[in-house]
Amino acid sequence: MTKIKLENISYVYSPGTPYEVTALNDVSVDITEGTITGIIGHTGSGKSTLVQLLNGLEKPSSGRVLVDGTDIWEKPKEISKVRFKVGLVMQYPEYQLFEETIKEDIAFGPRNMGLDEAEIEERIALASSFVGLDEELLEKSPFDLSGGQKRRAAIAGIIAMKPDVLVLDEPAAGLDPLGRDEIFKSIVKYRNETGATVVIVSHSMEDMARLCDELIVMAHSKVVMQGNCREVFSNAGELEKIGLSIPQVTKLMMLLKEKGVCVDGGVYTVKDAVSELAKLFKIDH
Amino acid sequence: MKNISFGQYYPAESIIHRLDPRTKVILAILYIVCSFVCQSAIGFTALIFSMLAIILISKIPIKTILRSIKPVIIIMVFMAFLNLFLVKGGVELTVWKITIYSKGIYTAVTSVLRVISLIIGTGIFLTYTTTPIELTDGIEQLFGFLKKIKIPVHEFAMMMTIALRFIPTLMEETDKIISAQKARGADFTNGSIVKRAKALIPILVPLFISAFRRADELAIAMECRCYRGGEGRTKLHVLRYRTRDFISMFIFIAFLAGLILINCFGVEYPFIENGWF
Ligand SMILES: Nc1ncnc2c1ncn2[C@@H]1O[C@H](COP(=O)(O)OP(=O)(O)O)[C@@H](O)[C@H]1O
Ligand SMILES: [Mg+2]
Repeated sequence: MTKIKLENISYVYSPGTPYEVTALNDVSVDITEGTITGIIGHTGSGKSTLVQLLNGLEKPSSGRVLVDGTDIWEKPKEISKVRFKVGLVMQYPEYQLFEETIKEDIAFGPRNMGLDEAEIEERIALASSFVGLDEELLEKSPFDLSGGQKRRAAIAGIIAMKPDVLVLDEPAAGLDPLGRDEIFKSIVKYRNETGATVVIVSHSMEDMARLCDELIVMAHSKVVMQGNCREVFSNAGELEKIGLSIPQVTKLMMLLKEKGVCVDGGVYTVKDAVSELAKLFKIDH
Repeated sequence: MKNISFGQYYPAESIIHRLDPRTKVILAILYIVCSFVCQSAIGFTALIFSMLAIILISKIPIKTILRSIKPVIIIMVFMAFLNLFLVKGGVELTVWKITIYSKGIYTAVTSVLRVISLIIGTGIFLTYTTTPIELTDGIEQLFGFLKKIKIPVHEFAMMMTIALRFIPTLMEETDKIISAQKARGADFTNGSIVKRAKALIPILVPLFISAFRRADELAIAMECRCYRGGEGRTKLHVLRYRTRDFISMFIFIAFLAGLILINCFGVEYPFIENGWF
């Protein structure tokens, strides 16, 4: 079932000035309920603009945003309800922490929802367990945390609102591999345990291939490809033309296939590649 | 692009855009003097034409310029009315029990013209065609002689430049923080004043933290490059007067001289003795 539908969306920054920029140009996208959808594209292709339309932070210059089949801009007064339903973690979310303790900061969203204190406590505990923040960290000031911990605290601030759709704009940018894996793990955990829909923006093909069910490829303010990983990565030539790469394993497998080795060229995770190669050598691994 | 989107700089390809910023400061001053020297009808006609010429040459759309005049329209109307009803002299004109004088009409019109030319002159030379950074650079050089009497011109200019450089960055940052807090359901528009003031905390705290962080980083970066103030410092973009600078200054000086001549050579300037300006 379609959770979010974008219909012929265009978005223009500073219209009518010399600094006018068309960030999105006639974009239509369907996001299926319960999936993890990845948005990839080079810098400036409009990814961040697109995700800010999903929860009504920005209003499209033209076109409609449908969440659960209703146009979110039909009742502009109730736009904050959409923001609780579609939780957006912006890029570098740790810069938005402002409370004295991590705990209070996570409580900011739920408190704005008007929940009672008992419920808020429960949500803090739940959200911090999802992102793997220890109890003792909750009482600390954001200044005392490491970069990765701050990032996870900020994500917990959104998860605490229990959004139906969790949208993350480059959640792993600027983190070390360990921090990155921890973040992705908690995102997958949230999806698996709540059945929420997840949208992730990234330009790491490897991560996207590993995590996502569906991919949306953006270039020059447009959506150029949409489909599952296998479909998207089979267009290696086109992806390279817009400055994106395909996962290293896919590249390797395609090369092998080209050389006449009998393997599946559409494999995009290391795990699948290993079993594919094992088949070749007739070994069990 | 974003580092100049602050203020009113209007990017275009015109000779005025290409002038040395020092020249533009001088031209703006000359133009202000011109508008005050004007007294006779001939002088003001010349002033109107010069304004049109400057606008045309600068390639700034009329609409943009009118927008900059809009905020002072009320003041201009107020000034015009004062002149109209309070200045006496010349031919009497009674309409509906209210007596106005021809001299009143003249001063009303000319005082408005002066204000418009002031705005257009300073606006076009100093804000529309010059980026704030260029302008500080120009002012620093132009007033460099003040260093001799121990005024830290370079330091002031550096402070200005840094402030100007960071205004758009901080504005962008503010936008991002506002969006991030809105995404968590923050509401800045409803509720009592106290509530709305409280709603600013989630914006101000991260904004201050990031401003201090940026200041720290900038200070370290400057130290790393051995910044030690203006002493013996050379410039990447050395300002140099070119032919166009001399020609434009010459034209402005000639214009000013012309206006003064008109005043001296008894061309009637009928009602000036005790106008408001
Ligand atoms: N606040 C803004 N004002 C003006 N232009 C913007 C703003 N934010 C983004 N843009 C422009 O819109 C385009 C798309 O930006 P963005 O959505 O941030 O891309 P991405 O996230 O894919 O890097 C870029 O050309 C960018 O310069
Ligand atoms: Mg982005």
